[in-house]
Amino acid sequence: MISCTEFIPAYSELFKFLEARGGRQAVDGFWEYLSDRFLGNLRSAVEEHGLRGCWIYWSHTLNEEAADFTMELDEEAGQFRIMMHHCPSMGRLLELDHVEPYHDYCRHCDVLYRRVLEPLGYRYAIDLSQCKEARCSITVSAPDAP
Amino acid sequence: MAKQVMRRDAADNEYLHRDFHGALSAGIEYLHENYGEEAVREYLWQFARSYYAPLSEALRRRGLAALEEHFRRTYEREGGEVRFTSSEDELRIEVDACPAVTHLRRQRYPVARLFRETTDVVNRAVCHGTPFAAELLEYDDQTGRSVQRFYRSRS
Repeated sequence: MISCTEFIPAYSELFKFLEARGGRQAVDGFWEYLSDRFLGNLRSAVEEHGLRGCWIYWSHTLNEEAADFTMELDEEAGQFRIMMHHCPSMGRLLELDHVEPYHDYCRHCDVLYRRVLEPLGYRYAIDLSQCKEARCSITVSAPDAP
Repeated sequence: MAKQVMRRDAADNEYLHRDFHGALSAGIEYLHENYGEEAVREYLWQFARSYYAPLSEALRRRGLAALEEHFRRTYEREGGEVRFTSSEDELRIEVDACPAVTHLRRQRYPVARLFRETTDVVNRAVCHGTPFAAELLEYDDQTGRSVQRFYRSRS
């Protein structure tokens, strides 16, 4: 059995495998497949609770992933933010001496969540400029936010 | 309504996100659907040869005790009833229900048709190039119940 604590390297190696088979298109195809089939809980949380659905969803996942983060929900301003101080996934990959992370690993967070949130009318912005240091940020704005 | 803020350090929580089993299962199924059965096995083989290289090296140096330690840690972390029977030349692991499959079933995530290969191929890949070999003697697709055997195949 591959432990869930060993999933991130398995995920990164899957991206490499797919890219070797079918280029970037194959990797993007998988991310879209995963978003459609695996993020139903984010979709239903946002449909039911609006922007607060993001807070509910990421409260669960980021705590289970033991992430180092600050999360903010400002419903008046219509904004939800995650400041990832140390991403548990990229952080683990960077700690491995014998496995190289997939070169575009962090982009899956852009594709997966954007594909759920934008069709619901939310704006999704991600800053991956420091992702090679395991830092990033996500901002989700409600449809009626300025 | 006031702004809500949550601040967490990595040390505030244990790292155990079981839903990752669901993402792995989705990845296996995606490969199966788009590239066929052999692609699933090839991917798992490549992953295991790369990621578990230190475990294979420990198996070469220390024998089956290294594998037993690895699997004891894994199943203690993930939970589930597991029995180990070991000697210098053989290690047998009986798993009543795979913790990954149990989580997938409980959360109603689809279990990939070839999910068993995450045990079978990975075990064989870890043993590759060592004096040991692995075989999956029993596996139940519904629960992940299994009997895994590792044994000395050459001196």
